[in-house]
Amino acid sequence: MAKILFINPVVREEDVPRHIPYGIALLAAIAMKEGHLVQVYDANAHRLPLDTIIEVCQADDWDAICIGGLTTTYNYIKKACKLIKESAPNAQLIAGGGFLTSMPHEIFEWIPEIDVGCIGESFVTFPEVLKKIDNKDVNYSDVLGVIHRDLTGKSFLTNIRPNIKDLDTLPWPAWHLFPLDIYFANSSNLFSEESFTSKRRMDINGSFGCGLTCKYCWHLGTTGDMLVEENDNGENDVVFTYGRNIRYHSADYIVSMVKHLHNEYDIDFAAFIDENLMTMDVASKGTWLKELCKKWIEAGLQPTCRQQGIPHDENCKGVHWNGTSHAGLHRPETLKLMYEAGCTHLVYGLESFDPTVLRNLGKGSNARKNKQSIATCLASGIKPIPNIIIGFPEESFESVRNTIEALVELGITAKPHFATAYPGSEWYYAYKDSIMEQYNQDLEAYIMDLGDASKITATISHEFSPMQLLGLQQIVYLKDLRLLDLSEQHWAPVQEKLTPVIQPKMSFNLKTVKEAGPLAS
Amino acid sequence: MSDILKGNFTPKKQVTKPDDTIDDDSIESKFKKAALNSIGGSMVYVERTDLTWDGEE
Ligand code: SF4
Repeated sequence: MAKILFINPVVREEDVPRHIPYGIALLAAIAMKEGHLVQVYDANAHRLPLDTIIEVCQADDWDAICIGGLTTTYNYIKKACKLIKESAPNAQLIAGGGFLTSMPHEIFEWIPEIDVGCIGESFVTFPEVLKKIDNKDVNYSDVLGVIHRDLTGKSFLTNIRPNIKDLDTLPWPAWHLFPLDIYFANSSNLFSEESFTSKRRMDINGSFGCGLTCKYCWHLGTTGDMLVEENDNGENDVVFTYGRNIRYHSADYIVSMVKHLHNEYDIDFAAFIDENLMTMDVASKGTWLKELCKKWIEAGLQPTCRQQGIPHDENCKGVHWNGTSHAGLHRPETLKLMYEAGCTHLVYGLESFDPTVLRNLGKGSNARKNKQSIATCLASGIKPIPNIIIGFPEESFESVRNTIEALVELGITAKPHFATAYPGSEWYYAYKDSIMEQYNQDLEAYIMDLGDASKITATISHEFSPMQLLGLQQIVYLKDLRLLDLSEQHWAPVQEKLTPVIQPKMSFNLKTVKEAGPLAS
Repeated sequence: MSDILKGNFTPKKQVTKPDDTIDDDSIESKFKKAALNSIGGSMVYVERTDLTWDGEE
């Protein structure tokens, strides 16, 4: 059996480690189930000097060293791969996750140390790659869903791996291989009183994907949104679509997992990291969340404050939880049940209150629904956490005004994020050329610059420059319509005479059609 | 000293966390973190610790 080392890269260096990596923990569990020998080095949790990787890589004779994460971990992964190859040259270096799936050929060019990469959903691909390594066969050309190299280092993408059909066949993630105390020490967050007082929070994932098509969002094959097709040079490349393979765990699977976490690790809070709980509920014809809440309560996970109708305090027992919602898809009766079962807050990606912006966004919401959603959610007892963005392609003084007016009306103070084109999103492919112009044609420099969208990297606003967007962010934060009027008075006449520097383009990697990738039978 | 590798077998060599790198919780680093988190209004944080001109431009 193969000896495997997993490395969890550092993410958001400016913040403390908050999330046990769900994907890595799941793949570690799958590898162990297949009989492999597994070790985990959680660099994100430990925050040790980078070259600790050398010691870790020399701790055994690894057959495979696996690394992966979202695009925002790219900087660490790039440096880590160099050290890994130098200190464990005989191990196969396997990469996976969003950073690779969104741009497999580019990543293979920029990080020559990677031997093989799992593209999109890896639950079946990864154990197949391990089996090959175990058999000392490193010709990956017959494994679906991978990117690999020939002897010259040139990258090749094999055909697409079908998504699995039944998520309940997956084992529970191997949480015990991670330094849980470090994560528990950072359980508390500022979204609700219950989450603020949480001492033992863990993440759970009930579903994969979302039925909507927001232009800034990426799913990277996990929703059935990915195909592999030949490009003009006759080479396979990834193509992202509006296709969907909607899948969610049964309420029984989720509740028994949380019950296990409660009994084993004494968790007091479960954070659903699902992309959008409400779109899953819609896919189940409104039954999924209701069943989940009912079974949560039956399993004895309902917090005592909710059970007894008393304010939450430090004596509260049970498991509170949170998730994501949608302004147009939530229902008051479902929210009420969610509150009773212990839901404390829901993140609503409202983004804007401008009709044009919302119409073009692919979110399936509008300004009226956005406004109502706050009141509907508050009425259930759950705290809404609205997310606001500025710098949309069609952002204008008028759209910013619409957002500020709504924030004033709803009593929301928000320092908006900047519209950012993350790899894998529709915006990224549409604006890739403009982004490269802003980074002197160095795409890798852009990838290395990406953070959590609280700073401007590349703008995709047709009308506003970075200087203006920084000012507008402050004006939205202050909800100062007078300053907005003054700015418009100065700039609007000038902008009428300027041609936009940012322009969308067609891209091979994006097809705006509802063509889903294959689903295993 | 604590083990930083976790798994389902014992690796050949133990990798331990050096004592002096266990969380940088010096007053200076705590202050820097708190200051950077509250930037705004008249609050500023000076990153440099040395303002001596060494003669080179
Ligand atoms: S609703 Fe959320 S998860 Fe769904 S596509 Fe939009 S941003 Fe992505």
